[in-house]
Amino acid sequence: MSDTHLTGGCQCGAVRYALDQQPVNVHVCHCRMCQKAVGGPFAVICPVLKPAFRVTRGSMSYFMSSDVGRRGFCSACGTPMTFDYPDGDDIGVLVGTLDEPDRAPPENQYGNESRVAWYSDLTAVPGDRPTYADNPEMLRRISSTNHQHPDHDTEHWPSGGGRS
Amino acid sequence: MSEFATGGCQCGAVRYRFALPFLEVSLCHCRMCQKATGGLFGAFAGGFRDDFEVTRGTLSLFRSSDSVERGFCSACGTPLTFARVGGKRISVTMGSLDHPEAFPPTEQAGWTGHLAFVGALAELPNIPPIEDVAPDLAATIRASNHQHPDHDTAEWPPRN
Repeated sequence: MSDTHLTGGCQCGAVRYALDQQPVNVHVCHCRMCQKAVGGPFAVICPVLKPAFRVTRGSMSYFMSSDVGRRGFCSACGTPMTFDYPDGDDIGVLVGTLDEPDRAPPENQYGNESRVAWYSDLTAVPGDRPTYADNPEMLRRISSTNHQHPDHDTEHWPSGGGRS
Repeated sequence: MSEFATGGCQCGAVRYRFALPFLEVSLCHCRMCQKATGGLFGAFAGGFRDDFEVTRGTLSLFRSSDSVERGFCSACGTPLTFARVGGKRISVTMGSLDHPEAFPPTEQAGWTGHLAFVGALAELPNIPPIEDVAPDLAATIRASNHQHPDHDTAEWPPRN
C-alpha cells in the first residue's frame, strides 16, 4: 500500500509518476532557465521530498541544465516534468503534468528579475471563449483522436501512439 | 530584408528563426496545452510555415491528436512548436524565443477552463533573487550553465 496523494505524467503517457505527499512551497519560477525548459513565460514547480516521488511507468530522461540542476522530461513526447538538484532533498514536478493541477496552487514566486512584463495583466488579455469555439469541426477531430494520456492512472496504455 | 525572431531549446540542439511580424501571440488554457508544457497554459507566437525555419538540428514531433503536431527537442525536452497537420501555419512556444519579453500575448483561448489560481498569480509574494538568498548556488549555476544563450551561435557547445 502506498500513500499516493497525487499522480501525473507526460502528455503521451509513456512516463507516469506518483507523489506520496502533498507538495510543499509550490511556486512560480520566472527565471530564464525555467522559461526555456518549459517553453513558457514561467514554470510552476511543486516540490516533494525525493522518497515521496515515484516513477510508476517508463523512465524519465534528464537534461543537466547546469552541473547542479537537472530537468526531467519524456523523450517520446517532450513534456517537461521535473526539476531537481541531484544533491538536494526534494524534487519538483511541474504543475501542468499533475492529473489534478488545481490541487497544487502556488504560494510564492521566484526569479522575479526575469518576469515577463505582462504577467500582472494576465487576466486582462482578451479572450474568454473555449479553445476552438469558432471551429467545432477541428474540436471534434481533436477530441475523437486525442493521444493525450487521460488524467488518471491506466493499467495499459499504448506507448507512442501519437509519435510521428 | 526580413527581421527575424530567433529561438530554440534549452540545450541548443534545435534552433529556429521566424520572419517577423508574428500573426498572433496567444495563450491557450486547454488541458492539452497545459500538459504539453507542464504549465498553467500554453503560450505561443505564430505565423506562416513559410516564415519559419529550423536553423540547427531537428524537431521531434508528437501528434497530440491526429490533427495536431507538437515539436520538441528530444535531447532536452523543451516544447518548441504547435501546428495543425497539413496546415499553413505554425507557432513557437513563447519561452523558447530568445526574447519572449518582446512578444506580449494579445489574446487567449480557453479562459473559461483556466485553473482557478491563474487570476491570483500576480498577488503571490515575491522571493528575492537566488543571487541574494543563495549566492554560492547562483555562482555554481552561472559557472556551469548548459543552457544555450539567447542568441544564435556559430557552434554549440563551444569548444574550449
